[in-house]
Order: sequence, then C-alpha cells, then structure tokens
Amino acid sequence: MVTVADNLVKPKAGADYREASRHRPLGFAIAALGVLLAFIAFFGNLAAASTAEPAGTLAWTFGLTTLAFGTIKVGIATVLIGILVRLWLRVEGVEESLPSLRGAAPGGGSAPEGYGAVATSHSVPRPLPIHRIARTMWGPMLAMGVMFVGAGFLASLSWASDGGTAAAAWTQGLQFLGEGLILAGISFLLGSILASLREGGGRVQQSLDLPVYTLEMPGTAKTFVVLMMAGLMISISQFVIYVWAATQAADVVAVSFAWLGPFRELGLGLLLAGIVLALASIAKALGFQYERIRQICTTGS
Amino acid sequence: MAEFATTTSTQGLGPNLPQQMGRRLWKPMLALALMAFPIGFVLAVVRASAIADQAEATRVAGLQHVGTAVMWLGFMAVFSAISFAIAKILSEFRTGGGAVQEATGSRVKTLKMPATARVFIVSMMMGMMIILVSVVVHLVVGAGLLGGDAAALDGLEAGLIRLEAWRRLGVAFYLFGITFGLGTIIHVLRFQTIRIRELPDLA
Repeated sequence: MVTVADNLVKPKAGADYREASRHRPLGFAIAALGVLLAFIAFFGNLAAASTAEPAGTLAWTFGLTTLAFGTIKVGIATVLIGILVRLWLRVEGVEESLPSLRGAAPGGGSAPEGYGAVATSHSVPRPLPIHRIARTMWGPMLAMGVMFVGAGFLASLSWASDGGTAAAAWTQGLQFLGEGLILAGISFLLGSILASLREGGGRVQQSLDLPVYTLEMPGTAKTFVVLMMAGLMISISQFVIYVWAATQAADVVAVSFAWLGPFRELGLGLLLAGIVLALASIAKALGFQYERIRQICTTGS
Repeated sequence: MAEFATTTSTQGLGPNLPQQMGRRLWKPMLALALMAFPIGFVLAVVRASAIADQAEATRVAGLQHVGTAVMWLGFMAVFSAISFAIAKILSEFRTGGGAVQEATGSRVKTLKMPATARVFIVSMMMGMMIILVSVVVHLVVGAGLLGGDAAALDGLEAGLIRLEAWRRLGVAFYLFGITFGLGTIIHVLRFQTIRIRELPDLA
C-alpha cells in the first residue's frame, strides 16, 4: 500500500515534463461531480422546507451533502498528487539547467536571509519524522475517509426510511469521522509536498557541490501538526460519542445532539486551520528556494 | 511554450491584486476562524444546557441561530484563509520565477492569469457571499429570539432548513474554487519547468 502510494506521487520513469498533467483534469472532474451532488442535495433541502414532514428528505440530503463534500475533497487530493508529481519534474529541470546558469559575481557564501532559521549540511538532509509519517499515511487516511463517508451515506438512507435516532447517530458519526480522515489525508499530502521541497532543494544544491541550505521547520509547520492532531482527535471522539448516544434515551440524545454537531464542526475547523498553516509553510519554503536559486544564478555559490 | 499566454518584461513582475490580497489577508482570516470555532462550540454547550433545563423555546432557538452564525463565520473565515494562502503560493511562484529569470540576464516571461485562476476567484467569492448572507440572517433572527420575540418562532424550522441548504452550497463553491486554485499551481509548475530548461540556451 505504501509503495503504491509512494509511486503515485512521483513521475514515471522517462516522463515528459512538457506533457500536461492528467491529475489536474481528473481532480476537476471529481470536484465537479461533488458540486453536482451538492446541488441535488440543495434542491432536496429546499423542497423539504416546503413540506409538513421534512425529516425523511432531510436525512438523505444530509448524507448526500456530506458525500458531496467528501467527493470534492477527493478531487482536491487528486490535484495535490498532481502537484507532487510536477514538483519532482521541476527538481529535474532545475538540476539540469542550473549548472549552465551559475553566475560568477562576487558575494554569496551565506544562506538566504529573512526566512528564519536555516540549517547547513553537505548532503541532502534526512526527512523529518513528520515527513516520513506524511508520506506513509496520506493514502490510508484518504482511503479510510472515503469508506466512512460512503458508509455514512448508506446509513443516511436507512435514517430516511425508518427515522430512528440510532441511524441518525451512525450517519453523523460515520460521515464526520470520514470527513476528518479525508482532511487528515489532505494534510499529509501537504506535508509530503513540504518534504519534497526539502529533499528536492537539497538534491539540487548537492548536485552543484554547494553547501546545502535547508529551511528549519517553521513555527507555522509545527502549529499545523498540532492543529491537525487536535482536529483528528475530535473527529474520532465525536464518532465514539455518537455511537454511545445511539443507545441512550430520547432526552439524553436531544441534549447530546445539541452540542455534538458544533463539536464535530470544531474538529473539522481545526483540521482546516492546520491546512491554512501548511499552505503558508509551503509558500515560505518556495520563497526560500527561489531566493537560493537566484543566489546561485548570480554568485554561483 | 506557445500554449501559455505570457507577458514579457525586462524585470520580474510583482504580485497581482488577488495575490496581494492573499498575502495580506490569510493571517487575519485564520485568526478570525480560530476565535469563532471555540466560541461557537461554547454557545452550543450553553444551548444544550438550556435544553436540559427546559428553558424557554425562544432562548433555545435564539442560541441555536447565534451559535450557528458564529460557527459558520469561522468556516467562512477558514475557507477564505485557505484560498488566500493558495494565492500567496501563486504569488511566490510569480515573483520568484521572475527574479530567477532576471538573475540569469534573460527577458522575464510571466504567465497571464489562467482561466482556472479566474474560476478559483469567482467560486471563492460566491461561497463567501452565500455563507456571509446566511450568517447575517442567523444573527438577526437569533437576536430577535433572544430578545423574546416569540413571533419569530413561526416558520422557524423551514427557515433553518433553507439557511442550512444555502450554507452547504456555499461550502461546495468554496471547495470547488480551492480545487481550481490548486490546479492553477500545477499549470504554473509546468510552465516554469519548461521555462527554466529554456534559459541555458538564452543566457
């Protein structure tokens, strides 16, 4: 599983860097399918609002909406895989071109400034533990997330037909655990992008026999990991509590459902906030890399 | 290279307007989201307590509206922060790519805004507007209910269902836009990979 996932995020041997990405249109198509499902659920909801007994319709539209969000997020993950593949093609391009572009102006000899702490080494730095985890876990997280969201959708059809509290609890618990896992998968893909930037940047500098400057893990990346873990813990906890609530009396269920909905939203919110910080870390790493390439093109060192 | 619409200049171009907004706004939006989520959750706990205490219907319904408004203000903010962070990444590609070309002494080719970036911006704005309007409606109705307006209880369930439908549609637009924003990064990476391989022949 890990090997298959690892191969998915690297270009095939002899891949042509000029060829358009296949991941991009595929990701767009999956996302468009998700939007279509969201529109079906939207119109179902509006129709339910005009009826005297909306419960049955609301049950399946809830399941379908969450399925739609999960589908669009799978589209996002597909595009992220495409970004990873392209990053490696970019590394190959820079590695081949940079020897001819090396400058000879005076200066250089120090790490780019203004990007925070920088480590210096003579070879490609080893991946950090979080990078190794990210590369191993993005696939299983996405796969489990899709399964839970799908199982929750099936539970929502049961909820729509029998209207029971247990089916309602299983639907919400399963689907939001699935959403949390898919977002964790996306977070790990972003972590893999950070790992690739680190490894690729090191590879290019080492190939030129230069000191390898690597950005130390920035504060945004550390906070990203904390938020992701907190969000994932909440997503797992809400599932356990929903399963427990499914066995309780009606008055306990009413009180539990009143805070469980926002609780699961808090979990997703923290995961999404972590994703913001991961993206900001990627932007910072890119800025550092461009400055380093510019430095090599100008001074040669 | 002919398939890419580009601008040629002697110097690297700075970030365009959406990218400048992205660089400035991702942090405030993230801060807003990180404040809104816990407050929304606390309001939900207060409402659950009101249900357990069999409080007045207007108080329970009012807390539901206000809590939902705060929580979804958080979602609007965090999705905006993600979108702005993607714009910041695109800005790094634009300015960094230009700086590298400039350093090699060749003319600077910069990608014009691709169609996918336009879809990204339009989808994000639609998602933001839809969620923002629903948040405002929730706040207005919630404030009325907490003020003791029992008349607002009429048609409450239908109103909640409609608002929820719109909010969810807003999320779909946001996510769709984010997919296209990230897809734009693939386009830029491909352009830059082709361009950097051209540079040694031009230098």
